[in-house]
Amino acid sequence: MNKILLVIRREYMTRVRKTSFWLLTLLVPIMLAALYAIPIYLAMKPLEKSVVLVADESGIFGGLDRDDTLRSDSHFASSDDITYRYAATLDYAKRQMSNDKDITAILYVRSRASEAIPTDACLYYKSDLPPQQVRYDVDKQLQRILRNRLLQAHGISDDEYALISNTKINLRTEDLETGRAAFLEVKMGLGLILAMLIYIVIFMFGSQVMRGVVEEKSSRIIEVIVCSVKPFQLMMGKVIGIAMVGLTQFLLWVVLTGVALVGIQASNSELFQMATQKHEVTELATKGSEAALQMQQADQLADIPQLVEGITSIDFGVILPTFLFYFIFGYLLYATLFAAAGALSDNDTDSQLFSLPLTIPLLITILCMPAMINAPSGTLSVVLSMIPFTSPVAMMLRIPFGVPIPQLWWSMALLVIAFPLCTWLAAKLYRSSILRFNRLTFRRKKR
Amino acid sequence: MILEAQHIEKKFGDFRALDDVSVSVRQGTIFGLLGPNGAGKTTLIRLINRISRPDKGVILLDGRPMTDGDVQRIGYLPEERGLYKKMKVGEQAVYLAQLKGLSRREAEKRLIQWFEKFEIASWWNRPVEELSKGMQQKVQFIVTVLHEPSLLIFDEPFSGFDPVNATLLKNEILALRKKGATVIFSTHNMASVEELCDDIALINKSKVVLSGSVSHIRRSYSRNLFEVVTLAIDSPLSLSAEYRIQSHRTLEGEEIYRIALSEGCSANSLLSAIMPQRQIVSINELLPSMNDIFVETVKEGGAE
Repeated sequence: MNKILLVIRREYMTRVRKTSFWLLTLLVPIMLAALYAIPIYLAMKPLEKSVVLVADESGIFGGLDRDDTLRSDSHFASSDDITYRYAATLDYAKRQMSNDKDITAILYVRSRASEAIPTDACLYYKSDLPPQQVRYDVDKQLQRILRNRLLQAHGISDDEYALISNTKINLRTEDLETGRAAFLEVKMGLGLILAMLIYIVIFMFGSQVMRGVVEEKSSRIIEVIVCSVKPFQLMMGKVIGIAMVGLTQFLLWVVLTGVALVGIQASNSELFQMATQKHEVTELATKGSEAALQMQQADQLADIPQLVEGITSIDFGVILPTFLFYFIFGYLLYATLFAAAGALSDNDTDSQLFSLPLTIPLLITILCMPAMINAPSGTLSVVLSMIPFTSPVAMMLRIPFGVPIPQLWWSMALLVIAFPLCTWLAAKLYRSSILRFNRLTFRRKKR
Repeated sequence: MILEAQHIEKKFGDFRALDDVSVSVRQGTIFGLLGPNGAGKTTLIRLINRISRPDKGVILLDGRPMTDGDVQRIGYLPEERGLYKKMKVGEQAVYLAQLKGLSRREAEKRLIQWFEKFEIASWWNRPVEELSKGMQQKVQFIVTVLHEPSLLIFDEPFSGFDPVNATLLKNEILALRKKGATVIFSTHNMASVEELCDDIALINKSKVVLSGSVSHIRRSYSRNLFEVVTLAIDSPLSLSAEYRIQSHRTLEGEEIYRIALSEGCSANSLLSAIMPQRQIVSINELLPSMNDIFVETVKEGGAE
């Protein structure tokens, strides 16, 4: 037993001291923090000032000849970043553009005699493509002006329109017995994240075990070790040592990511406020009328508690322990088999081949994920969450939707039973092949 | 007998790697395990180290069957030897010593002495991959003997050693015997067998074909060949047909004769035949070298 501890210690210490371990430990939180911070900085970045010349033949979009009767809602509204100016004809606009470098693009609305309402508009640019937000804004304003024109023509007031377009009926899914809402989207997202996470950690640390075994074989230290440690002790020491590396890394990720996120928010509290304000302002500018705005705001307010409620409805008291359980046992189940695959091979290339059969059950589960998401309690989901080789991933996908307790116990029990069986098989394979090299098999064939 | 292997059989699939192999190793001796490639030497060594188990037969250590705990008493230097490349030399040596049951402190204490003796102390904190092959071999040797085992097993210890390190190793093996350890080593190097071994066993095609003490074996292979050195004189040496002169050369006023004696003749009678004709300087029996015996025995059995 003392020897197994020595092996665990070595496996743990040599890995934790590696630069690559710390690099990965630091990079993942940095990446996550960047994922969080970059959109905020981008939102804060001032837009480029753009000028768009509008040459409208139809007159619907505020042609110059009717400027005295212009209504704000049938007119391109300039904002801080995008200024709209009108030109009488396309030719005039083109001349303007060649003289004035500030002009970003020309919006040309062609009018055909055959149609009352134009169906075709073109945004001309010169050498530089107009920025995304310009194209987006032009399109949005075109649709708004056209819609207002039609509303007017049919005698529908803005308030009436806002009422119509904002009135929705909410469809909820609720548990008949508990009366709790299902919040399917939140659960789907969570299930997918958990399932992918467990797949990635099993695979990542499983192949570390395999590489460790191949290293011992190819460096030929194995024979020195097995004369003082039983192969089983060596294998289990490696498996457990790497499991502890995995848990350490995981814990560091959680802590460091948390610190990074809090840090970003704290150091940029001003920025965050401004970002929120800016968001509100843009919302204001884009939404036509006051009434519609209020409706939208009310809608959003209703949305937020729903999401929060969705998240709070998830039983983290169940999910976290089950995740830890399936992570540990799923890893243990695969890690011993990965060790056997490593023992069968002489080098890294061989090990790819021998580990292929191990990745298949995991891949199948990943491929079945869309079908399982559709029916979290369907036959496929239940079967996959019972088979020990697929249950860690499958159960993690199902767990946010709520799994009947007996099913959970069965799945866990089967996994726990499968672990020693797998280990026994893996240890047998490991013991018998750890000292066998190509050289040996080749020689035997020659006889 | 410190170690006895009795009627060992080991199969790999259909292939019988060891067939009714028995060897016994006397306490405090150096025992050579000889044989051509693929004869089964490494298989036998792995059985003694309990890395694998025999299909038939028993291995006795100090007269009782070996148990797993006995491997602590063995130091083993395998033929295919390596170290963790990325690990630091000192740390790795301590780890391997701890696996052999030494405490960390004891391991460090002994290692520092050995490292200084072998002049590699400055490499303690360097990763193994930066060491030359010769240095790695020194480290491996140190790790093998560090826990002061009573039985040492070296599988092809001289393969890959440069002459300087090979001599160092040879001297260390002799020093170990002096301290009372028993050494088993397998080798192709017949010169080192004559130099070091007390007893040998020759394995060919999974069987022991020759065993016993080196001097005894060489005597039993005696071809009744003598080398006689006399002072040189002009008249030729004339001997009867029983004494066949194989070769004759003159060197710095001495004549060296190589004479084969026919059956039943003794060195004494040869001397009395020469004495009237020459002044004898020395006479030596020319025993076959272990190399000759090895080649002859293996050829008889039909090498692969």
